[in-house]
Amino acid sequence: MLQVLINGIVLGSVYALIALGLTMVFSIMRVVNFAHGQMYMLGAFVVYYLYGQFQLPFWLALPLAGLALAVVGVLFNRLFFQPVLASAKREENSMLMAVGTALLLENLALTLFGEKQRGVPPVVDGSFIFGDISEGGAILTYPNAMVAALSVTAIAALLLFVQYTRPGRALRAVAQDKEAARLQGVDVKSITTLGFAIGAALAGLAGGLLVTIYGVNSGIGSNISTKAFIMIMIGGAGVTSGAIVGGVLLGFAEAIGYDLLPGSLTYLLIFVAMIVFLVFKPNGLFGKPWG
Amino acid sequence: MSAIPHLELCAVSLCYDEVRALQNVNIKVPTGDIVALIGANGAGKSSALRAITGLRRVAAGEVRLDGHIINSPSAQEQTHALVRQGVVMVPEGRHVFPHMSIKDNLLMGAYTRRDPARIASDLESVCERFPRLRERFHQHGSSLSGGEQQMVAIGRALMARPRLLLLDEPSLGIAPQVVRQIAQSLVEINRKDGITIVLVEQNSRMAMSLSSYTYVLETGNVALEGPSRELMNNDHIKRLYLGG
Ligand SMILES: Nc1ncnc2c1ncn2[C@@H]1O[C@H](COP(=O)(O)OP(=O)(O)O)[C@@H](O)[C@H]1O
Ligand SMILES: [Mg+2]
Repeated sequence: MLQVLINGIVLGSVYALIALGLTMVFSIMRVVNFAHGQMYMLGAFVVYYLYGQFQLPFWLALPLAGLALAVVGVLFNRLFFQPVLASAKREENSMLMAVGTALLLENLALTLFGEKQRGVPPVVDGSFIFGDISEGGAILTYPNAMVAALSVTAIAALLLFVQYTRPGRALRAVAQDKEAARLQGVDVKSITTLGFAIGAALAGLAGGLLVTIYGVNSGIGSNISTKAFIMIMIGGAGVTSGAIVGGVLLGFAEAIGYDLLPGSLTYLLIFVAMIVFLVFKPNGLFGKPWG
Repeated sequence: MSAIPHLELCAVSLCYDEVRALQNVNIKVPTGDIVALIGANGAGKSSALRAITGLRRVAAGEVRLDGHIINSPSAQEQTHALVRQGVVMVPEGRHVFPHMSIKDNLLMGAYTRRDPARIASDLESVCERFPRLRERFHQHGSSLSGGEQQMVAIGRALMARPRLLLLDEPSLGIAPQVVRQIAQSLVEINRKDGITIVLVEQNSRMAMSLSSYTYVLETGNVALEGPSRELMNNDHIKRLYLGG
């Protein structure tokens, strides 16, 4: 039981980080970044190469993964999202474009990195043991603890940034009312780019963190994207608190499912539960963006 | 020789696809004045403000600020850049940020400024001007009444330290006693702070009593203009805009 709780907290904290990135982009551009999972994958590869291959310290490789993805985010936004959103007359246009960018990144990764599963040496070694494992005790490995702690730190930093800084306020303003933001002197285009960069950076950070536990391969993107969609649909797309709650809920659902059920059944049940949930609460738990 | 008007619309036309919202409109706003823009729904009042704030490019003519062209068919200043030049609008329907506290809404008004000490003291003076806002300082915009939201929207605009304040129907959907309070504060803002005001209203009586000069828009044209006092006695105006 305690073990499930620990696993749930670890998964939930990284998932919340992933969901926050997706929700940030959605709240500002009203478009689902289908490539979010592929951006996660790229972040994982950055850490794999910098830390795993070139033996840079992890503490340097991780922020660099975030930075690299921020750059990818800026480029994607300027090259694909903004031009298409500016000229798109129908929602399908921007959705197709977003799906296209996901395929682009995935195929690029397959070409560059191949399809092999890759891992990195552990960043920290050891574990916390709680009680007697054979009698209901639990284990928290240092790598898991590190991932959870760094995710929570990143989430806290993001929330403080959005709540208390001038660009953070501008991000919220653009999410809530673009024209009113413009009338306060906000350069909406730059702030949108900033939001996209932050969203992509969060995906990159999450990938860079989880590669230390699960490794990475070029194909994991769509899997991560699917999870991210589930999380923001639970919480309500574009809502900060919703993303965090959605992430934690999915983390726990997974932890409980893997403890009780045979492998693939967990996600089958999660999907069924989500469909039922959306029938009753189509906008998720929390209604409006940036509450 | 006469001074350059603070703001000038010269033969401005403005279109939305097929709809021509303004046609050959000429408006002059002298520095330090309150100028009223009245007219029925759909007459083009908001469109005139959109032309001034750069929210929409004009189809013909030009908008000048202190003699410099800020909006013409070939070149247009961005709205956010105009805010830095002191052109600030309180939009129709107020557009308070709904999921932001009053404090953050007001701070958004000061977005273009980098003087924290004076921003703090301006925050204080907005609260003195509208004490109701201080009581609700940490409540979200969406939880406020229409009148309170209008105070936030005006306070937010003042936080930008505007030179030219454009108000789009500030009395719309607001209780009469609050309208009087807002009218009073507009006079103060104009006299004490020396801010030039363009007041768009369907409440013609209020707009004309506050302003020194009035333009009457009808289907995208300036149908009539003149010193507000004189226009108030004009038969056409009395019949169509003052209800008697
Ligand atoms: N975004 C828009 N798209 C198409 N037509 C518009 C738009 N905004 C205003 N119009 C039209 O332009 C004309 C003037 O509108 P507006 O400037 O909003 O008038 P007012 O503010 O005096 O009520 C109206 O006929 C209106 O229907
Ligand atoms: Mg209007």
